Amino acid sequence: MTEMLSSLYGQPDSQGPAGPSALGCGSGKSRVTLSQNMGPMRFPHQMVDEGGPIRKPAAMNEPFYMLQELPMENELTGDTNLITHYNLEHAYNKFCGKKVKEKLSNFLPELPGMIDSPSIQDNSSMRSLIEKPPVCNNSFSPLSGAMLTGFRLHTGPLPEQYRLMHIQPQKKKNKHKHKHHRPQDPLPPETPSDSDHKKKKKKKDDDPDRKKKKKDKKKKKNRRSPDQPGMTGAQPSSSSLR
Amino acid sequence: MAEKFDNLEEHLEKFVENIRQLGIIVSDFQPSSQTGLNQKLNYMISGLQDIEKCRQQLHDINVPLEVFEYIDQGRNPQLYTKECLERALAKNEQVKGKNDTLTKFKSLLISELGKVFPEEMAKYKAIHGDDPPS
Repeated sequence: MTEMLSSLYGQPDSQGPAGPSALGCGSGKSRVTLSQNMGPMRFPHQMVDEGGPIRKPAAMNEPFYMLQELPMENELTGDTNLITHYNLEHAYNKFCGKKVKEKLSNFLPELPGMIDSPSIQDNSSMRSLIEKPPVCNNSFSPLSGAMLTGFRLHTGPLPEQYRLMHIQPQKKKNKHKHKHHRPQDPLPPETPSDSDHKKKKKKKDDDPDRKKKKKDKKKKKNRRSPDQPGMTGAQPSSSSLR
Repeated sequence: MAEKFDNLEEHLEKFVENIRQLGIIVSDFQPSSQTGLNQKLNYMISGLQDIEKCRQQLHDINVPLEVFEYIDQGRNPQLYTKECLERALAKNEQVKGKNDTLTKFKSLLISELGKVFPEEMAKYKAIHGDDPPS
Protein backbone atom coordinates (compact mmCIF):
# COMPACT_ATOMS: atom_id res chain seq x y z
CA MET A 1 0.00 0.00 0.00
CA THR A 2 2.69 2.49 0.91
CA GLU A 3 4.63 1.55 -2.18
CA MET A 4 1.63 2.31 -4.33
CA LEU A 5 1.13 5.67 -2.69
CA SER A 6 4.74 6.62 -3.05
CA SER A 7 4.72 5.70 -6.69
CA LEU A 8 1.59 7.75 -7.20
CA TYR A 9 2.95 10.84 -5.57
CA GLY A 10 6.59 10.50 -6.75
CA GLN A 11 8.13 10.21 -3.29
CA PRO A 12 11.38 8.21 -2.78
CA ASP A 13 11.23 4.96 -0.88
CA SER A 14 13.28 6.33 1.98
CA GLN A 15 10.49 8.71 2.63
CA GLY A 16 7.94 5.98 2.31
CA PRO A 17 6.72 6.06 5.88
CA ALA A 18 6.56 9.83 5.78
CA GLY A 19 4.50 9.82 2.61
CA PRO A 20 1.43 8.04 3.88
CA SER A 21 1.79 9.65 7.26
CA ALA A 22 1.73 13.03 5.66
CA LEU A 23 -1.32 11.99 3.69
CA GLY A 24 -2.95 10.57 6.76
CA CYS A 25 -3.85 7.21 5.33
CA GLY A 26 -2.38 3.78 5.28
CA SER A 27 -2.36 0.39 6.86
CA GLY A 28 -2.00 -0.49 10.47
CA LYS A 29 1.78 -0.50 10.34
CA SER A 30 1.99 3.16 9.63
CA ARG A 31 -0.38 4.01 12.43
CA VAL A 32 2.47 4.17 14.90
CA THR A 33 4.41 6.53 12.69
CA LEU A 34 1.34 8.70 12.35
CA SER A 35 1.03 9.07 16.06
CA GLN A 36 4.73 9.69 16.45
CA ASN A 37 5.17 12.16 13.63
CA MET A 38 1.98 14.14 13.63
CA GLY A 39 0.56 13.64 17.06
CA PRO A 40 -2.78 12.10 17.78
CA MET A 41 -4.87 12.14 14.63
CA ARG A 42 -8.41 13.08 15.35
CA PHE A 43 -11.17 12.93 12.80
CA PRO A 44 -13.97 15.41 13.25
CA HIS A 45 -16.75 13.02 14.14
CA GLN A 46 -14.55 10.90 16.33
CA MET A 47 -14.58 13.72 18.81
CA VAL A 48 -18.29 13.22 19.22
CA ASP A 49 -19.20 9.90 20.65
CA GLU A 50 -22.60 9.13 19.30
CA GLY A 51 -22.91 5.76 21.00
CA GLY A 52 -22.97 2.10 20.10
CA PRO A 53 -26.18 1.52 18.19
CA ILE A 54 -25.31 3.97 15.44
CA ARG A 55 -21.72 2.95 14.71
CA LYS A 56 -20.29 -0.49 14.24
CA PRO A 57 -17.28 -1.31 16.40
CA ALA A 58 -15.30 -2.45 13.36
CA ALA A 59 -15.75 0.93 11.73
CA MET A 60 -14.81 3.01 14.73
CA ASN A 61 -11.14 2.16 14.72
CA GLU A 62 -10.64 2.63 11.00
CA PRO A 63 -8.41 5.48 9.94
CA PHE A 64 -10.46 6.26 6.86
CA TYR A 65 -13.17 8.83 7.37
CA MET A 66 -15.22 7.06 4.74
CA LEU A 67 -15.24 3.86 6.76
CA GLN A 68 -17.20 5.50 9.53
CA GLU A 69 -20.86 4.74 9.78
CA LEU A 70 -23.08 6.76 7.48
CA PRO A 71 -25.81 8.97 8.98
CA MET A 72 -29.33 7.62 9.21
CA GLU A 73 -31.21 7.98 5.96
CA ASN A 74 -34.39 9.98 5.91
CA GLU A 75 -37.31 8.88 3.75
CA LEU A 76 -38.33 12.45 2.98
CA THR A 77 -35.50 14.40 1.37
CA GLY A 78 -35.29 17.59 -0.62
CA ASP A 79 -35.38 15.78 -3.92
CA THR A 80 -38.73 14.04 -3.33
CA ASN A 81 -41.63 15.78 -5.01
CA LEU A 82 -43.30 17.32 -1.98
CA ILE A 83 -46.40 18.21 -3.96
CA THR A 84 -47.18 14.57 -4.73
CA HIS A 85 -45.99 13.49 -1.28
CA TYR A 86 -48.52 15.75 0.45
CA ASN A 87 -51.23 15.18 -2.22
CA LEU A 88 -51.27 18.78 -3.38
CA GLU A 89 -51.59 18.07 -7.08
CA HIS A 90 -55.14 19.34 -7.21
CA ALA A 91 -54.12 22.54 -5.45
CA TYR A 92 -51.14 22.96 -7.79
CA ASN A 93 -53.32 22.57 -10.89
CA LYS A 94 -55.89 24.94 -9.44
CA PHE A 95 -53.47 27.75 -8.56
CA CYS A 96 -50.64 27.28 -11.06
CA GLY A 97 -52.54 25.78 -13.99
CA LYS A 98 -54.99 28.64 -14.34
CA LYS A 99 -54.30 32.31 -14.26
CA VAL A 100 -54.91 33.78 -10.82
CA LYS A 101 -56.17 37.34 -10.90
CA GLU A 102 -54.05 39.98 -9.27
CA LYS A 103 -56.57 42.11 -7.41
CA LEU A 104 -58.10 41.47 -4.03
CA SER A 105 -61.54 42.34 -5.38
CA ASN A 106 -61.36 39.30 -7.64
CA PHE A 107 -60.95 37.13 -4.55
CA LEU A 108 -63.69 38.94 -2.64
CA PRO A 109 -66.12 40.24 -5.27
CA GLU A 110 -68.99 40.71 -2.83
CA LEU A 111 -67.06 42.88 -0.42
CA PRO A 112 -68.11 46.53 -0.73
CA GLY A 113 -65.73 49.46 -0.84
CA MET A 114 -62.36 50.15 -2.44
CA ILE A 115 -60.35 47.13 -1.31
CA ASP A 116 -57.79 47.11 -4.11
CA SER A 117 -56.01 50.19 -2.86
CA PRO A 118 -53.17 49.70 -0.34
CA SER A 119 -54.51 49.68 3.19
CA ILE A 120 -51.76 51.97 4.44
CA GLN A 121 -53.52 54.88 2.71
CA ASP A 122 -56.56 54.71 4.98
CA ASN A 123 -54.72 53.26 7.97
CA SER A 124 -56.63 49.97 7.84
CA SER A 125 -53.73 47.56 7.38
CA MET A 126 -53.83 44.16 9.03
CA ARG A 127 -50.17 44.49 9.85
CA SER A 128 -50.87 47.44 12.13
CA LEU A 129 -53.65 45.43 13.77
CA ILE A 130 -51.20 42.66 14.61
CA GLU A 131 -48.37 44.93 15.70
CA LYS A 132 -50.56 47.32 17.69
CA PRO A 133 -53.77 45.54 18.69
CA PRO A 134 -56.47 47.92 19.90
CA VAL A 135 -57.01 48.06 23.65
CA CYS A 136 -60.56 46.93 24.41
CA ASN A 137 -62.60 44.93 26.87
CA ASN A 138 -62.87 41.19 26.61
CA SER A 139 -66.63 41.10 26.09
CA PHE A 140 -69.07 42.74 23.70
CA SER A 141 -72.12 44.25 25.39
CA PRO A 142 -75.07 45.79 23.54
CA LEU A 143 -75.52 49.55 23.65
CA SER A 144 -77.94 50.88 26.21
CA GLY A 145 -80.37 53.74 25.61
CA ALA A 146 -78.02 56.28 27.12
CA MET A 147 -75.14 55.12 24.95
CA LEU A 148 -77.31 55.28 21.83
CA THR A 149 -77.97 58.98 22.37
CA GLY A 150 -74.43 59.52 21.17
CA PHE A 151 -75.48 58.20 17.76
CA ARG A 152 -78.07 60.87 17.05
CA LEU A 153 -77.09 62.23 13.65
CA HIS A 154 -77.88 65.39 11.76
CA THR A 155 -80.29 65.04 8.87
CA GLY A 156 -79.15 65.37 5.30
CA PRO A 157 -76.44 63.88 3.09
CA LEU A 158 -72.87 63.27 4.15
CA PRO A 159 -70.21 65.93 3.55
CA GLU A 160 -68.34 65.45 0.28
CA GLN A 161 -65.10 64.39 1.91
CA TYR A 162 -66.80 61.30 3.37
CA ARG A 163 -68.94 60.34 0.36
CA LEU A 164 -66.20 58.48 -1.52
CA MET A 165 -65.68 55.99 1.32
CA HIS A 166 -68.22 53.46 0.13
CA ILE A 167 -68.10 53.88 -3.63
CA GLN A 168 -67.29 50.55 -5.27
CA PRO A 169 -64.88 50.28 -8.17
CA GLN A 170 -66.52 49.76 -11.57
CA LYS A 171 -66.46 46.21 -12.75
CA LYS A 172 -65.29 46.00 -16.35
CA LYS A 173 -66.97 42.82 -17.45
CA ASN A 174 -70.35 41.74 -16.23
CA LYS A 175 -71.13 38.68 -18.25
CA HIS A 176 -73.68 37.35 -15.79
CA LYS A 177 -76.16 39.95 -14.71
CA HIS A 178 -76.90 39.68 -11.01
CA LYS A 179 -80.55 39.01 -10.38
CA HIS A 180 -80.33 40.01 -6.73
CA HIS A 181 -80.32 43.76 -6.58
CA ARG A 182 -79.24 45.31 -3.32
CA PRO A 183 -81.81 47.73 -1.91
CA GLN A 184 -81.10 51.42 -1.54
CA ASP A 185 -77.59 51.61 -2.88
CA PRO A 186 -76.12 55.08 -2.41
CA LEU A 187 -75.02 55.16 -6.07
CA PRO A 188 -77.65 55.18 -8.82
CA PRO A 189 -77.49 52.04 -10.99
CA GLU A 190 -76.56 54.05 -14.10
CA THR A 191 -74.19 56.86 -13.42
CA PRO A 192 -73.20 59.22 -16.24
CA SER A 193 -69.84 57.51 -16.48
CA ASP A 194 -71.58 54.14 -16.83
CA SER A 195 -73.91 55.41 -19.57
CA ASP A 196 -70.96 56.84 -21.46
CA HIS A 197 -69.18 53.56 -21.02
CA LYS A 198 -72.16 51.69 -22.42
CA LYS A 199 -72.46 54.10 -25.33
CA LYS A 200 -68.78 53.65 -26.05
CA LYS A 201 -69.28 49.89 -25.90
CA LYS A 202 -72.15 50.17 -28.35
CA LYS A 203 -70.04 52.29 -30.66
CA LYS A 204 -67.24 49.80 -30.43
CA ASP A 205 -69.64 46.99 -31.20
CA ASP A 206 -70.94 48.91 -34.18
CA ASP A 207 -67.50 49.81 -35.48
CA PRO A 208 -66.34 46.29 -36.33
CA ASP A 209 -69.66 45.68 -38.06
CA ARG A 210 -69.20 48.87 -40.01
CA LYS A 211 -65.67 47.90 -40.88
CA LYS A 212 -66.81 44.53 -42.11
CA LYS A 213 -69.45 46.16 -44.25
CA LYS A 214 -66.89 48.56 -45.68
CA LYS A 215 -64.57 45.68 -46.46
CA ASP A 216 -67.35 43.81 -48.18
CA LYS A 217 -68.17 46.86 -50.24
CA LYS A 218 -64.54 47.27 -51.21
CA LYS A 219 -64.32 43.66 -52.25
CA LYS A 220 -67.42 44.02 -54.34
CA LYS A 221 -65.99 47.11 -56.01
CA ASN A 222 -62.74 45.34 -56.71
CA ARG A 223 -64.62 42.48 -58.25
CA ARG A 224 -66.71 44.81 -60.38
CA SER A 225 -63.77 46.86 -61.69
CA PRO A 226 -62.35 44.16 -63.95
CA ASP A 227 -65.91 43.40 -65.07
CA GLN A 228 -66.31 46.65 -66.97
CA PRO A 229 -67.99 46.54 -70.41
CA GLY A 230 -65.58 45.18 -73.00
CA MET A 231 -63.68 43.24 -70.37
CA THR A 232 -64.23 39.63 -69.31
CA GLY A 233 -63.77 38.20 -65.84
CA ALA A 234 -61.45 35.51 -67.18
CA GLN A 235 -58.80 38.07 -68.05
CA PRO A 236 -57.96 39.83 -64.82
CA SER A 237 -54.34 40.46 -65.77
CA SER A 238 -55.15 42.28 -68.95
CA SER A 239 -55.83 45.43 -66.95
CA SER A 240 -52.27 45.41 -65.60
CA LEU A 241 -50.79 45.16 -69.08
CA ARG A 242 -52.53 48.34 -70.05
CA MET B 1 -63.33 21.34 9.05
CA ALA B 2 -65.12 23.05 6.21
CA GLU B 3 -68.18 23.56 8.39
CA LYS B 4 -66.23 25.77 10.79
CA PHE B 5 -65.15 27.99 7.88
CA ASP B 6 -68.66 28.04 6.43
CA ASN B 7 -70.06 29.13 9.76
CA LEU B 8 -67.49 31.93 10.11
CA GLU B 9 -67.98 32.98 6.51
CA GLU B 10 -71.73 33.22 7.01
CA HIS B 11 -71.33 35.40 10.09
CA LEU B 12 -68.79 37.63 8.34
CA GLU B 13 -71.04 38.09 5.32
CA LYS B 14 -73.97 39.08 7.54
CA PHE B 15 -71.73 41.46 9.44
CA VAL B 16 -70.42 43.11 6.29
CA GLU B 17 -73.94 43.42 4.87
CA ASN B 18 -75.11 45.00 8.11
CA ILE B 19 -72.25 47.51 7.98
CA ARG B 20 -73.04 48.30 4.36
CA GLN B 21 -76.68 48.99 5.19
CA LEU B 22 -75.52 51.13 8.11
CA GLY B 23 -73.46 53.15 5.66
CA ILE B 24 -76.47 53.62 3.40
CA ILE B 25 -78.58 54.91 6.30
CA VAL B 26 -75.85 57.30 7.37
CA SER B 27 -75.11 58.56 3.85
CA ASP B 28 -78.45 60.38 3.75
CA PHE B 29 -79.79 60.41 7.29
CA GLN B 30 -83.39 61.19 8.12
CA PRO B 31 -84.94 61.50 11.61
CA SER B 32 -87.17 58.50 10.91
CA SER B 33 -84.03 56.40 10.32
CA GLN B 34 -82.85 56.74 13.94
CA THR B 35 -84.53 53.57 15.17
CA GLY B 36 -83.17 51.64 12.22
CA LEU B 37 -79.71 53.02 12.92
CA ASN B 38 -79.88 51.96 16.56
CA GLN B 39 -81.02 48.51 15.51
CA LYS B 40 -78.16 48.19 13.03
CA LEU B 41 -75.65 49.24 15.70
CA ASN B 42 -76.88 46.52 18.02
CA TYR B 43 -76.83 44.00 15.17
CA MET B 44 -73.21 44.99 14.62
CA ILE B 45 -72.39 44.19 18.25
CA SER B 46 -74.24 40.86 18.13
CA GLY B 47 -72.39 40.10 14.88
CA LEU B 48 -69.09 40.68 16.64
CA GLN B 49 -70.23 38.37 19.44
CA ASP B 50 -71.05 35.63 16.92
CA ILE B 51 -67.67 36.04 15.25
CA GLU B 52 -65.94 35.77 18.61
CA LYS B 53 -67.79 32.50 19.31
CA CYS B 54 -66.42 31.12 16.04
CA ARG B 55 -62.90 31.84 17.28
CA GLN B 56 -62.95 28.89 19.67
CA GLN B 57 -63.53 26.43 16.85
CA LEU B 58 -60.63 27.83 14.84
CA HIS B 59 -57.96 28.18 17.50
CA ASP B 60 -55.73 25.59 15.77
CA ILE B 61 -55.74 27.36 12.40
CA ASN B 62 -52.49 29.18 11.61
CA VAL B 63 -52.27 31.87 8.95
CA PRO B 64 -48.84 32.94 7.67
CA LEU B 65 -48.09 36.60 8.18
CA GLU B 66 -46.97 37.01 4.57
CA VAL B 67 -50.57 36.59 3.46
CA PHE B 68 -51.47 39.75 5.36
CA GLU B 69 -48.88 41.65 3.37
CA TYR B 70 -50.57 40.60 0.16
CA ILE B 71 -53.97 41.70 1.52
CA ASP B 72 -52.57 45.02 2.72
CA GLN B 73 -51.22 45.66 -0.78
CA GLY B 74 -54.62 44.91 -2.30
CA ARG B 75 -53.42 41.71 -3.94
CA ASN B 76 -55.16 38.36 -4.19
CA PRO B 77 -53.98 36.09 -1.35
CA GLN B 78 -54.24 33.09 -3.68
CA LEU B 79 -51.12 34.50 -5.34
CA TYR B 80 -49.24 33.71 -2.13
CA THR B 81 -50.35 30.07 -2.33
CA LYS B 82 -49.38 29.96 -5.99
CA GLU B 83 -45.95 31.41 -5.30
CA CYS B 84 -45.39 28.99 -2.40
CA LEU B 85 -46.17 26.00 -4.61
CA GLU B 86 -43.97 27.29 -7.41
CA ARG B 87 -41.09 27.97 -5.03
CA ALA B 88 -41.43 24.50 -3.50
CA LEU B 89 -41.34 22.88 -6.92
CA ALA B 90 -38.36 24.95 -8.04
CA LYS B 91 -36.46 24.10 -4.86
CA ASN B 92 -37.35 20.43 -5.27
CA GLU B 93 -35.93 20.46 -8.77
CA GLN B 94 -32.79 22.25 -7.63
CA VAL B 95 -32.12 19.83 -4.78
CA LYS B 96 -32.89 16.82 -6.95
CA GLY B 97 -30.36 18.04 -9.48
CA LYS B 98 -27.75 18.40 -6.75
CA ASN B 99 -28.56 14.97 -5.36
CA ASP B 100 -28.35 13.31 -8.77
CA THR B 101 -25.01 14.99 -9.47
CA LEU B 102 -23.62 13.90 -6.10
CA THR B 103 -24.83 10.34 -6.65
CA LYS B 104 -23.05 10.19 -9.99
CA PHE B 105 -19.94 11.66 -8.42
CA LYS B 106 -20.07 9.08 -5.65
CA SER B 107 -20.27 6.17 -8.05
CA LEU B 108 -17.41 7.56 -10.15
CA LEU B 109 -15.31 8.19 -7.06
CA ILE B 110 -15.89 4.70 -5.73
CA SER B 111 -14.95 3.15 -9.03
CA GLU B 112 -11.75 5.22 -9.26
CA LEU B 113 -10.85 4.66 -5.62
CA GLY B 114 -11.40 0.96 -6.15
CA LYS B 115 -8.70 1.05 -8.78
CA VAL B 116 -6.24 2.97 -6.60
CA PHE B 117 -7.06 1.57 -3.13
CA PRO B 118 -8.57 -1.86 -3.73
CA GLU B 119 -8.09 -3.15 -0.20
CA GLU B 120 -9.54 -0.12 1.49
CA MET B 121 -12.45 -0.03 -0.90
CA ALA B 122 -13.09 -3.71 -0.22
CA LYS B 123 -13.35 -2.84 3.47
CA TYR B 124 -15.63 0.05 2.64
CA LYS B 125 -17.91 -2.16 0.59
CA ALA B 126 -17.92 -4.78 3.31
CA ILE B 127 -19.12 -2.21 5.83
CA HIS B 128 -21.47 -0.17 3.70
CA GLY B 129 -22.49 -2.75 1.16
CA ASP B 130 -22.11 -2.70 -2.58
CA ASP B 131 -23.33 0.51 -4.16
CA PRO B 132 -25.76 0.11 -7.06
CA PRO B 133 -24.27 0.83 -10.46
CA SER B 134 -24.80 4.38 -11.66
